[in-house]
Amino acid sequence: MPVTRQTPFVLVIVEDSDEDFDTVQEAVDRAGFPVEVFRAATGGDGLTVLRAQAPNRPTLVPMDLNTCGIDGREALAAIKVDPALKCVPVVVLSTSANPKDIGFCYAAGANAYHVKPVRHPDHVRVLVDLLTYWMSRAVLPSGERTADEK
Amino acid sequence: MIRTTPVRPTPWDGQPYSIKRHGVTITNCDSEPVQTPGCVQAHGAMLVLRPADLTVLQASENTDRLLGHRADTLLNKSVQVAIGSDGEARLKAFFATEPTDRNPLYAFTLPPRNDVPPLDVTAHTVDGVAVVEFEATGRTEAGEPDYYALVKKTVTRLQSAKTLQQFCDLTSDEFRTLTGLDRVVIYKFHADGHGEVFAESKRADLDPWLGLHYPAGDIPEPAREVFKQIWVRPTPDVAGELAELVPLTNPDTGRPLTMTHCALRGASVMYTEYLENMKVTAGLTMPIRRDGELWGLIACHHYAGPKHVPYQVRAACEFLAQVVSLQYQAAEEREHLVYRLKLDGTHQQLLAQAARDGGLASMTEGRPNLLDGMAAGGAALYHHDRWWRVGTTPSDAQLDALGEWLNDRPEFASPTRPLYATDSLAQQCPPAAAFTDVASGLVAVPLSRLNRNWMLWFRPETIQTVNWGGNPHEKPTVPGPHGPRLTPRRSFELFQESVRGRSLPWLAVELDAVARLRMLVMELVVSRAERLADLNADLTHSNEQLDAFNYVASHDLKEPLRGIHKYAHQLLEDAVIVDQDHRRKLSGMMRLALRMDSLLDSLLHFSRVGRVALATEWTDLNEVVAESIEMVDARRSEGPPEIVVPRPLPHALCDRVWCREIFVNLLSNALKYNDKPQKRVEVGFIAPDEDHSRSGCPEGSAGHTIYYMRDNGIGIPARHFEQIFKMFKRLHGRDDYGGGTGAGLTIVQKLIERHHGRVWLDSTVAEGTTFYFTLQGRVGT
Repeated sequence: MPVTRQTPFVLVIVEDSDEDFDTVQEAVDRAGFPVEVFRAATGGDGLTVLRAQAPNRPTLVPMDLNTCGIDGREALAAIKVDPALKCVPVVVLSTSANPKDIGFCYAAGANAYHVKPVRHPDHVRVLVDLLTYWMSRAVLPSGERTADEK
Repeated sequence: MIRTTPVRPTPWDGQPYSIKRHGVTITNCDSEPVQTPGCVQAHGAMLVLRPADLTVLQASENTDRLLGHRADTLLNKSVQVAIGSDGEARLKAFFATEPTDRNPLYAFTLPPRNDVPPLDVTAHTVDGVAVVEFEATGRTEAGEPDYYALVKKTVTRLQSAKTLQQFCDLTSDEFRTLTGLDRVVIYKFHADGHGEVFAESKRADLDPWLGLHYPAGDIPEPAREVFKQIWVRPTPDVAGELAELVPLTNPDTGRPLTMTHCALRGASVMYTEYLENMKVTAGLTMPIRRDGELWGLIACHHYAGPKHVPYQVRAACEFLAQVVSLQYQAAEEREHLVYRLKLDGTHQQLLAQAARDGGLASMTEGRPNLLDGMAAGGAALYHHDRWWRVGTTPSDAQLDALGEWLNDRPEFASPTRPLYATDSLAQQCPPAAAFTDVASGLVAVPLSRLNRNWMLWFRPETIQTVNWGGNPHEKPTVPGPHGPRLTPRRSFELFQESVRGRSLPWLAVELDAVARLRMLVMELVVSRAERLADLNADLTHSNEQLDAFNYVASHDLKEPLRGIHKYAHQLLEDAVIVDQDHRRKLSGMMRLALRMDSLLDSLLHFSRVGRVALATEWTDLNEVVAESIEMVDARRSEGPPEIVVPRPLPHALCDRVWCREIFVNLLSNALKYNDKPQKRVEVGFIAPDEDHSRSGCPEGSAGHTIYYMRDNGIGIPARHFEQIFKMFKRLHGRDDYGGGTGAGLTIVQKLIERHHGRVWLDSTVAEGTTFYFTLQGRVGT
């Protein structure tokens, strides 16, 4: 069971598909953590939202790779070179199992890479698992800024 | 030009040279200082002046006769003493205004005084002194012929000549008309230095010299050197006296006078004796030069006593010789125009053919080939590490040796025209004596410096008869004050000699065409390399596009699929839908979405199998098979199958991971399409030296190890042997035998092809199937 938390987790979800975003919502509900969800339909919007939410220390960024405009790859790379954002964990959610994409994302600093299953229950399970992992198992960066962030 | 001191000690060592004193001591013509002879021809007189004040430094010893003053009385005096104050003023003005350096020009005519006739004065400067020459004037009261109009007509006629022969015939005629001398020959030098009378115009009663050859020694090296610097050389009286300069050396510098450009320069004793032996009494010679090299001479001879050719006529001759030098190449080109066009046309076709075929093989094997242009007996090309021969050529072994020899030829160091041509190969390359019958003549051009690729043409030996004007091997000597001395040949009787080991000579037009062809071939090679680079770029681009397609397939097609599955799933969970038929249809929709998902996965996998580079290494197939069994999870299926490897498998050159996939796919098929209570699979091989016949192996597979996997499954009807390898082709119902996308064997076939191998099968329905395959992996592919 998740620990009670005074301030909710902040999720910035980059996802252009309404169906897939809906599935993430379903997984968030099912995981049962206090979560405040922000959605961005493109990587570019994701960056904007993330910068606006920076003071609230976003917990996790589930990121779709293929969005229109500035896509997930560019947004990921931008986050990981931005001193104010680079500590925020970014988990990639993609349809692509292409080794090139996987390699690119890890090289750019992604914290995990997940292939979205077509089977809906499987898809929900992957999402619930990853939310649970990041919100209950992983130790997240504290509110204090580390030296190299200054 | 000052000649360097002769290497050998000479009889005049330590004292200045003078023909008069030392001329008959010459033992070697090539050491005679012909440019500083110390003497003038005595029909004229010479003064050497200090340019600053026109003081006489040296005077020819005959000035008393021509200028009315003894030489010694003129020394250190102003030139005014010799030519009067009017003459001095004109000379001063002349040097002040005319370009006189090494360029003798007519200054003025000295009027007759007392018993001295009018004299033409020509002057030039050389090595810091002014040289003034006096000789009998050619100007008459009646006025001069219009030399300009004369020369102009001559030039027009020369330009109309259609062949080099015609051009030279005309040249000799025109010079005889202009000079009035008895015989004019165009004397052409051959590559070895000997000469040939190429054209002749003569007084009717004289013996013809046309076609006669003369040895190189007849015109010694120092004389040739002079003709590279001057345009006319008069010898108006072969038997005439010589007049020595007084003093012999310049009192200011102690150096002898350089007389290269002087019309009066004293002639070598060897030369005058040579002419006398030929009964020549007067001569005038002009060079024909090409790019600073001596191509030939225009030699005018007179037989009826002295013949003085005055300055104006010599100037016309000089001008005409320059015109001839410029025009003879054009005449030669006109002569070979048709041949040149044919050569270039053929070579263009050769190139187009080679560009089309993508190789140089057609240059020897195609129509046309290297022999259709050039008049040659054979041609050879060294390209792609072998000789390509056409026509009659030396053997491969002889060509190899020739190629080695050619590598060291200095001609190929030329960055602009690396070309070697000879009409007597064996003289320069002794081993070539073995094949003079096919290759006495050779033209060679390199197609690349590093790979030692050659393009060669050969000409057979043509036994030629050379008509010599006198025996060229005769070296007559006469007793002299310092032992026997060389004299010119006395006999000019026809001496016939047949020459072996020599081909017909290569024409300039042929060599030019070869040089051009070489450039074209090299351009072609370079453009092919560029094309290859372009193709590679295209290929990279195509691969990237294929990647992009994979991306579309995986992302853009799968995303809607995920949505469809999700909605069907949600509807099915919805309690409102209770109708069993509807629920069945929703389940079907989900099943189809998943099936399409796995088809897309197979498609992606197949395209990856085709593109990803293999990591080929020597691999223990026993390990690969063990891993495959593990992956298929055969041991845990109900009624565990019997998997037999009768004898250890060999090591194979293959990509371990992809090779495992071959075995996994075949193995899972063998177990899947099997209804026997005890499933049995045998994995084995047939070594290259064992009997392949029973495997029904296709062509090209014998000699390789054949691997096989034999099962006791349901078997495959022979008519389906081909279909089973087709993408998504299934022989059974979608869900029979465990389902599947139908891509497994397609991928197996692709993987084996990537290993340059073959796959085939043998099967009996209800008894079992045997798949055979070979792996012919190559290192690094």
